[in-house]
Amino acid sequence: MNSPLSKLHMSLLAAVLALAPMTAVNAKTPADQLIVGMSMVNLFSIDPANAPGLDASGVNANLYDTLVKRDNNNPEKHQPQLAERWQISDDGKQVTFHLRQDVKFHSGNPLTAEDVAWSLYRVMKLNYGLATTWKAYGYSVENIQALIRATDSYTLVVDLPQVMDPLLLVDSLAISPSAVVVDRKAVMAHEKNGDLGAAWLVTNEAGSGPFVLTKWSVNDSLLLTRFDGYWGGAAKLKRVVVRHMTESQSLRLMLERGDLDLAYGMSAPDIRAIDGSDKLQVQSLQRGTLYYVAMSMKQPEFAKSKVREAVRNLIDYKGLDQQVMPYYGTLNQQPMQLGLDARLPDPGYHMDVAKAKALLAEAGYPEGFDTTIRTLSEPPFIDIAARLQSTLAQGGIKATIVTGTGNQVYGAMRARNFEIIVARGAERYPHPYFSLRTFAYNPNNSDDAGLPNFQGWRASFFNPQLNALIDQAGVERDSAQRLKLYHQAQNLYDQQVGPIMMVSQMTDTVVSAADVKGFDGDDALATRYLGVHKQR
Amino acid sequence: MFVSTASVLGARASNTARRASTVLVTLLGLLALTFVIGRVMPLDPVLAVVGPDADSSTYDQVYQAMGLDKPIWTQFGLYLNDLLHGDFGNALLTGHPVLDDILRVFPATIELATLAILFGILIGLPLGVCAASNQGRLGDHVARVITLFGYSTPIFWLGMMGLLVFYAWLGWAGGAGRIDLAYDGMVPEVTGLLLIDSTLARDWDAFASALRHIVLPALILGLNSVAYISRMTRSFMLEQLSQEYIITARVKGLSRRQVVWGHAFRNILVQLLTVVALAYGSLLEGAVLIETVFAWPGFGQYLTSSLMLGDMNAVMGCVLVIGLIFVALNLISDALYKVFDPRTR
Repeated sequence: MNSPLSKLHMSLLAAVLALAPMTAVNAKTPADQLIVGMSMVNLFSIDPANAPGLDASGVNANLYDTLVKRDNNNPEKHQPQLAERWQISDDGKQVTFHLRQDVKFHSGNPLTAEDVAWSLYRVMKLNYGLATTWKAYGYSVENIQALIRATDSYTLVVDLPQVMDPLLLVDSLAISPSAVVVDRKAVMAHEKNGDLGAAWLVTNEAGSGPFVLTKWSVNDSLLLTRFDGYWGGAAKLKRVVVRHMTESQSLRLMLERGDLDLAYGMSAPDIRAIDGSDKLQVQSLQRGTLYYVAMSMKQPEFAKSKVREAVRNLIDYKGLDQQVMPYYGTLNQQPMQLGLDARLPDPGYHMDVAKAKALLAEAGYPEGFDTTIRTLSEPPFIDIAARLQSTLAQGGIKATIVTGTGNQVYGAMRARNFEIIVARGAERYPHPYFSLRTFAYNPNNSDDAGLPNFQGWRASFFNPQLNALIDQAGVERDSAQRLKLYHQAQNLYDQQVGPIMMVSQMTDTVVSAADVKGFDGDDALATRYLGVHKQR
Repeated sequence: MFVSTASVLGARASNTARRASTVLVTLLGLLALTFVIGRVMPLDPVLAVVGPDADSSTYDQVYQAMGLDKPIWTQFGLYLNDLLHGDFGNALLTGHPVLDDILRVFPATIELATLAILFGILIGLPLGVCAASNQGRLGDHVARVITLFGYSTPIFWLGMMGLLVFYAWLGWAGGAGRIDLAYDGMVPEVTGLLLIDSTLARDWDAFASALRHIVLPALILGLNSVAYISRMTRSFMLEQLSQEYIITARVKGLSRRQVVWGHAFRNILVQLLTVVALAYGSLLEGAVLIETVFAWPGFGQYLTSSLMLGDMNAVMGCVLVIGLIFVALNLISDALYKVFDPRTR
């Protein structure tokens, strides 16, 4: 018994016994705190001028406010937020917002119309990706201060630089991650070398939202604390703690043990395993994002519409929907989100190998051809690509799958350097105009034009008639006429066999403890925890 | 032969200079290689900043601001110049200086890896000695099975199984993270090592929570070291046990314990130093899988996230730190050689 090994075993046993009673410490999460587990790997800037990711939107939705809020399920109706009312001029060229006068930033500074105008100027001046939203309306760093201006402390006048449906602009002010209002004085106190506080705002906040950012340790944890002076009434929760967790099974175990209240980003098998549990609730949220198969029309094969039609006949829409996409998405074949009035029903594309072969033969490829499919090396992308590879092979198209990170896959697409890509995209919130602009619009098809913000340009799809229809819809103020234009555009996209073929609309599943109430998941992950509470 | 003090000092100085220049050339080569690989691999750090939907003007603006329009060797020269002034650059991931980030995440990994190597030493050494002194018998077979398990079982799977059994079923271990969220941010940060900081603060609840969280990942991470250290120990011990001085010791009537631990084991200590140093170095830079499973906010996760983004400032900083760790461990083990083996003085 005196050998070192025996002593070691005794020591280990003692250590295990010493640890065992500590389990008593492991209680349920506190009643006034929400403990959230999710991957924060894509959360690396919360500066509203440069935080395009969904995760950053989720944080900023709780730190900042917008002028108006979109009405659920109706992109053309909006509710008051910082602006208690607004009016659109008869000619549709000006919108005037009247702001609440009781709003204070977390710093204690009052929120004024000057802050709103400056926040939008700052986005244009810094010129990161989110500035694209405002450039589409004709704003530039040179004209924005003249066009968006405070006429007094609580009145903001917004002039449209070009003829456009003003409701579109109001909608962008409701949903764009860059439309939130920042505290000008607090930000400028941290300005360095004329950066408008850009370096500071990457990891700090200057908002007026229901929560204050107390701590953020990148890829570790993030702590939001209730802002008691919130104009809309204090949040029910005292704190929201977000822990960086990338492994789905770890999330599941912690939820089941009661150490987590809510988890984002769990994998389909784990969600399936706990679906039906009486301790947990599963909420599916439909996102505005669409999964698609895109072909580059720069490739001679895909420039031919018969080849694109053949590929469309080799996509197993039904199989993907039923076997690959549960918990990831819902079948959608239109370049427009489900539930919109402007959306036409699915055209009923389905797999038809014989027809595909005939089309390939007509296009001059009776034996098929070789190609590549680029995609992300994670589900469901890789699963969609694998199934597509298999069904393309049935038609004679031999495809090699090239996997990579999001950066590599979307980078290749932006550079117009791909053949087939399986990816996802679109505006974060459903909107007929913005969806068509994203997928079907391309004002200039030359490489030199450099328009990677249009996915139609990335795929080298150029149709002047379709461009004109979308442009008309953007200025049309008569809703019935606008609806007609949207329908025509979808039909034309179908006839032209657009190279970006939608297969599914993203759903995101949030799993939470059964006692978590008031969680009203947002379309674009920008969920506010204002009304969330625990029923114990 | 008479050797002057001056010539001894001169030889030492020259030896030190030679070592320092070797270290510098190694680190410079490591940085150059990483820099070139980082620039030629198909990852676009600009996209990480501007987002995939940015237009060309935004992209070009950030591309130039990041200095990517300059020739690669100019970029490398500028980087080295900044480095010489103590500036590792800013990380894309966090917006903070890379050095600050590394100093923030490294204590979590040091704490985990140190506990893991302690497990490796405390279990691996006796196991290896036991296997060698019982060659071909039950003890040896048991040790072989344990080492085979340690070598061949995927650490990711072990992590998940460990969580399932010891956290979810038995409730002995803490879940993911370094400490229960109730204590998050409650322990004043002195060293960044939660076990030590909570002890300094005399916050025993936080200490217990940190201990419950670290024991399981450290045990699993240490299992590979157990395998490595025990195999090497067995091998070294077998060589020693076949030496004539061991037979002499036995003939003199010394007990088996005295022969094994007092004679043979003492003679393998120097070799074991290198083994332990290498194992520790590997743990410090290779804990990424266990950090992923246990949501451990350490160096491995930071390096992996930076690589995925193409954040070369952060990657270069991490590579430099890894290089320095191995250099430091080598220097420490060399210094300890002189303590344990008088012939090397």
